[in-house]
Amino acid sequence: MTREKPRSRKARSRRRPKRQTGKRAETKAATQRKILQATLRLFQRRGFDATTTKQIARAAGIAEGTIFNYFRTKEEIALFFFEEEVEHAITAVRANRRLARARLDEKLFALLQYQFEYLAKHERFIWAALLEALRPGSPLAFSARALSMRARYLGFVEELIASSLRRRNRTPVQAWAAQAFWIYYLGALLYWLNDKSPGKQNTIAFVDRSLKAGVALFVPGA
Amino acid sequence: MAKNREAVKRALQMASMTAGVTGSYLGYFAQRIFLDENARQRALKQTHAKAGRRMTARMAKLRRPAMKLGQTLSLQAGLLPDEALAELTSLQMSAPPMHASLVRAMFRAEFSREPEQMFKQFAIEPFAAASLGQVHKAVTKNGQAVAVKVQYPAIREAIKADFSWFRTASKPAQWSKHLPPEVLDELERQFLEETDYRVEANNTAFLRKKLKPLLYVEVPQIFPDYSSERVLTMSLLQGMHLDTFLATKPSQALRDKIGERVFELYYFQVLKVEAFHADPDWGNYLFRSDGTIGLVDFGCVKRLSPEFAANLRAMYLYPGSSESAGFQRLLEQRYRMFGNRLNQSTRRALVRFVETFYRKVYPPEREKEHLAIDFADAAFIREYMRQATNLANSRGATPECVFLSRAETGLYHSLHRLQARVHTSAIVRRWQ
Repeated sequence: MTREKPRSRKARSRRRPKRQTGKRAETKAATQRKILQATLRLFQRRGFDATTTKQIARAAGIAEGTIFNYFRTKEEIALFFFEEEVEHAITAVRANRRLARARLDEKLFALLQYQFEYLAKHERFIWAALLEALRPGSPLAFSARALSMRARYLGFVEELIASSLRRRNRTPVQAWAAQAFWIYYLGALLYWLNDKSPGKQNTIAFVDRSLKAGVALFVPGA
Repeated sequence: MAKNREAVKRALQMASMTAGVTGSYLGYFAQRIFLDENARQRALKQTHAKAGRRMTARMAKLRRPAMKLGQTLSLQAGLLPDEALAELTSLQMSAPPMHASLVRAMFRAEFSREPEQMFKQFAIEPFAAASLGQVHKAVTKNGQAVAVKVQYPAIREAIKADFSWFRTASKPAQWSKHLPPEVLDELERQFLEETDYRVEANNTAFLRKKLKPLLYVEVPQIFPDYSSERVLTMSLLQGMHLDTFLATKPSQALRDKIGERVFELYYFQVLKVEAFHADPDWGNYLFRSDGTIGLVDFGCVKRLSPEFAANLRAMYLYPGSSESAGFQRLLEQRYRMFGNRLNQSTRRALVRFVETFYRKVYPPEREKEHLAIDFADAAFIREYMRQATNLANSRGATPECVFLSRAETGLYHSLHRLQARVHTSAIVRRWQ
């Protein structure tokens, strides 16, 4: 299955000259997004389990068979959502030029914050997806696609860590710190999902404090 | 690297320091129930020394509501040596600094917009620390220069957590009535109220109107469209903080003038407005070389009941003896007002307070009105602290007094640092 990489506005404008050859790919991406939007609406309303591909097809206004040209299962649709989310956050951090000079804890804070802002409308779906991902052998957590998404995300975290360290300070500990960050990220996500405070400011405070402490402990020298 | 280490250190300090200081008090309170008077004095002294050392060494690095709680209570519970107290009240209370991404996150949480979208200009680097957050300079879409105060997230929860923890830790002091539960309740209520910037917006508008008669005081204007529970936008006031002002080496005449005005500002509020700015932080006063004063940060405004204000008016500069029946009636009346009975030791402590401090600093005789009190003399503050401690030890604390004494302590410290000479009684009489 091939899939257009989600693109930022910048990337899209760069590609504009190739428009004619890319037209097919664009229609494809548009359909993909239509399916995703319909799925998210249904997941939010009915939950992950109760939603069927038939309902998704109807909500997206396409034939059920067409869905399978894009996604084999609804787990794949969910994964597509998270891939989009990760790309969005990475692009946003890169686009924020001021962040390049910021301290590591602020960079990581901004990354998480962009993720949470993206996820904000789909809390119920994320709950369902998390529970689904906990099942042994769940494709949401253990498929090659899920693992490559995680690698992409942690690769970026590693990049952020490396960019905050002077060359001579770089040690193998960074890679390990990125793995630790994954566990931390899941914890922060759970905290965020459970946070009922106005504007989720408890999460904002928690992430700020814990990142400051965490960076100082795990990435000395950043 | 040093900066990040600092963050962890601060987190650890927070824990160890609160536990440390309360730990020594806890020990003292527990002992005090069983010790005889002599041993008690010795134990108290040891506790003082221990707690004082811990406080002064670590307080400066601590930035949290817990610190503010510590500051206010230490004034009240009367358990710290004078010197440590003086240090403590002079500390500027401020929340941890927020980086740009955190400020943005707060704006998005409050207004669903970035600060740059709301303002024509927004300086993402703060220019001042505030008690619960930090202040940014900005320009509104209409071109008005403003100060935008942004609160650190989840301060409310932090205060609640600090209080629930402190309630448990200070049980012995509550049982012994050194720290009446009403005082804690009142403090928590007031602190929580401070976290709602809409309350502060109301307070600011209220005092802006009420302080109009004092032409030398400027109170900022609030911009409600740019404000919320955790973001407060007000007109930008010019002026220098006390330290900067003193560094310009103002003349004695200017210091006297400002001293008299700061003093009048306090008594005008208590006696005329019957509400006062109860945050003694020096950062809240902006001094200018023309002698005018900018007043900011109205998070803690204490409103007095009309009866209490009347009682204060009658008590200040009381012409008769403090042992006289008339004065004693006023004292009893004040305690009855809050549903408390005036016990003998509190009565003695109050009379001593009046005799050794108030009568000296505020001579009631009209013929002494032309004399200015020279606050350069640190003995006044020491005496005030000693008597306030003594009063607290007599178990006579009422919530109203906690805030009055907090503001009064701040006032005397400012006057002392200004080395100002003030016609105290004349000013009080002017508004009595």
